[in-house]
Amino acid sequence: MRKNVTLYMLFSLLHVIASAQNNTVIKLVHKVGDKTLQLHTETYFNQFNEPFTVHKFKYYITGLQIEYENGKKKYTFEKPYHLVAEEDSTTKMITLNKPLKNITTISFLLGVDSLRNVSGAQTDDLDPMKGMFWTWNTGYIYAKLEGQSDSSNAAAHYFSYHVGGYKTNENAARKVVLKIDEKSQSPINEIAIEADILKWFVGANEIKISNAAVCHQPGVLAMMLADNYKNMFTIKAIK
Amino acid sequence: MKQTKAFLILLCMVCVGIAFITIEKYKPTPLKFIIPKGWPKPAFDFKRNPLTQEGFELGKKLFYDERLSKDSTISCASCHQQFSAFATFDHPFSHGYNNSFTTRNAPALQNLAWQKEFMWDGGINHLEVQPITPIVAENEMAETLENVILKLKRDTAYLRMFKAAFGDATINTQRMNKALNQFMVMLVSSNSKYDRVMRGEDTFNLPQRLGYEIFKQKCASCHKEPFFTDFTYRNNGMPLDATINDIGRMRITGNKNDSLKFKVPSLRNVDITYPYGHDGRFFTLDNVFEHYRKNMQPIHTTDSLLKNKLYLSNFQIGQVTAFLFTLTDSGFLKNPKFAAPAYSKPTILHQH
Ligand code: HEC
Ligand code: HEC
Repeated sequence: MRKNVTLYMLFSLLHVIASAQNNTVIKLVHKVGDKTLQLHTETYFNQFNEPFTVHKFKYYITGLQIEYENGKKKYTFEKPYHLVAEEDSTTKMITLNKPLKNITTISFLLGVDSLRNVSGAQTDDLDPMKGMFWTWNTGYIYAKLEGQSDSSNAAAHYFSYHVGGYKTNENAARKVVLKIDEKSQSPINEIAIEADILKWFVGANEIKISNAAVCHQPGVLAMMLADNYKNMFTIKAIK
Repeated sequence: MKQTKAFLILLCMVCVGIAFITIEKYKPTPLKFIIPKGWPKPAFDFKRNPLTQEGFELGKKLFYDERLSKDSTISCASCHQQFSAFATFDHPFSHGYNNSFTTRNAPALQNLAWQKEFMWDGGINHLEVQPITPIVAENEMAETLENVILKLKRDTAYLRMFKAAFGDATINTQRMNKALNQFMVMLVSSNSKYDRVMRGEDTFNLPQRLGYEIFKQKCASCHKEPFFTDFTYRNNGMPLDATINDIGRMRITGNKNDSLKFKVPSLRNVDITYPYGHDGRFFTLDNVFEHYRKNMQPIHTTDSLLKNKLYLSNFQIGQVTAFLFTLTDSGFLKNPKFAAPAYSKPTILHQH
């Protein structure tokens, strides 16, 4: 009898491990046009032929939600606020705790909702320690792109885009909805989503490093950048 | 089968027992926050951060701890000194890390539980995030939050105190700030002579009474009782100091109509919080009165109440000053509850 129980427990443990491996993973791949992002070393060119390097690339994914079973079911990622940072590869692998199939949409807020901006000190990925927080004018930085560019008129040719803002006329959080048409029979192992930094400069607005090298506060420029970069994501591969 | 069942039941009992013991162990002493008679409901959310003796003691230790700064020389209390109602005594600007100076005058810390926004420009929207600002500012404590949390985690006294205050020894930004908040919201100043007179326990002398009448007419629309501020942002006619270029509230709102507006400061304990003004440009109350009646430079954003300046005769100035002195709350300034904890180094005060 005892043996049976132990065996059963062993099996269920194995089952848990096995199914964990099948859980769907969202993999974020950072690109600059058709090149894969390399921090510091590579020089890229934007649509205005302005050269630039990238030192930092970070953004918040909030309330990640996935519609699957052809739109019949909704899955909400258990971690409400997820900070993605280029330099930390673990943040670019989002492991859902469920195997999903027949996914129709992936949606999230790119940024942090207004309420979290006015509710005091937060923990985990929202800990102000993460450096995505303005201390002199309370609020989260939703996305950061920093580097150097010969086109920049700022000190040491730095360019630095810190985008945030939660107040009515300054809100820079943007909803992202990615549509998928996927009819697989078995659960998806991996969805690769690319984020293209070149989209920061064009789209809703043309933003040249030579004209605007620094954005360090909420306001018009921050919202213009957000309106551009909200379109940086595309689904590249489903495995 | 029976055996397993019995085992499982036993396991359950042990688990419940352990849970019970740990719950039993975390029993902080609630700290009562007393709202002075006639005062409005505080803005501070006591449900989010319930005050306890343990949280308060931890907050006090943090407030007086120099290790919150990069080179362990500056604590919150270096700039916020109890005998000056937690302002920086006798300094227009406070000394920060590595011989730097702040660019604004450190305000008194009192009655913060009723305040919704912080700093001269109201840029901080919650008391719980406020301590981060001086910790990371290059001209204040110049430290990173990571390092501060690391330093605290290495100190067993802190591990013990965080556990006593919050139930386990987790140390993070949120808990540090919550503890600091518990200390800061307890800094209530409500027992000056003025308060005693209002409660019918004392009487003003003649100049104080006349001064109070003038104050109610000429000053109270901005310096509103009982806090002696209405917590709004206004331009009281102080011209821009081009060396500092502080545009005040406009830095936060981006609105030109907010240029040179600053938070109306409380006048409680005003006698000992000199120098005055957001940049400490007035060394004495007389300087402030000269500003209001003569030197002020009204511009388009100057408050409509002050468009024609604010004239007071020398007599009246004497009377208003006599009244302002009744706002000194010596019980608050000397309350041992708020003084440096015995087991930490006394705050170093430089003399010059
Ligand atoms: C180097 C001096 C210095 C240090 C150290 C310092 N402060 Fe301050 N504090 C100031 C100044 C100056 C201001 C006004 C800043 C402004 O208006 O921009 C201020 C403002 C404040 C306010 C806002 C008060 C109000 O009425 O709006 C609070 C609260 C406060 N400090 C708490 C703290 C705490 C807690 C610490 C320690 C973690 C601390 N301070 C460390 C100088 C200092
Ligand atoms: C229109 C609103 C308004 C009126 C009326 C007003 N004040 Fe003020 N007062 C302010 C503001 C705003 C400040 C802060 C200005 C700054 O530093 O930029 C201030 C600052 C002060 C200060 C400096 C306090 C400190 O700690 O720095 C004193 C003292 C003062 N006022 C006294 C008075 C007296 C006395 C009267 C009446 C004779 C008066 N005020 C009338 C708005 C007003």
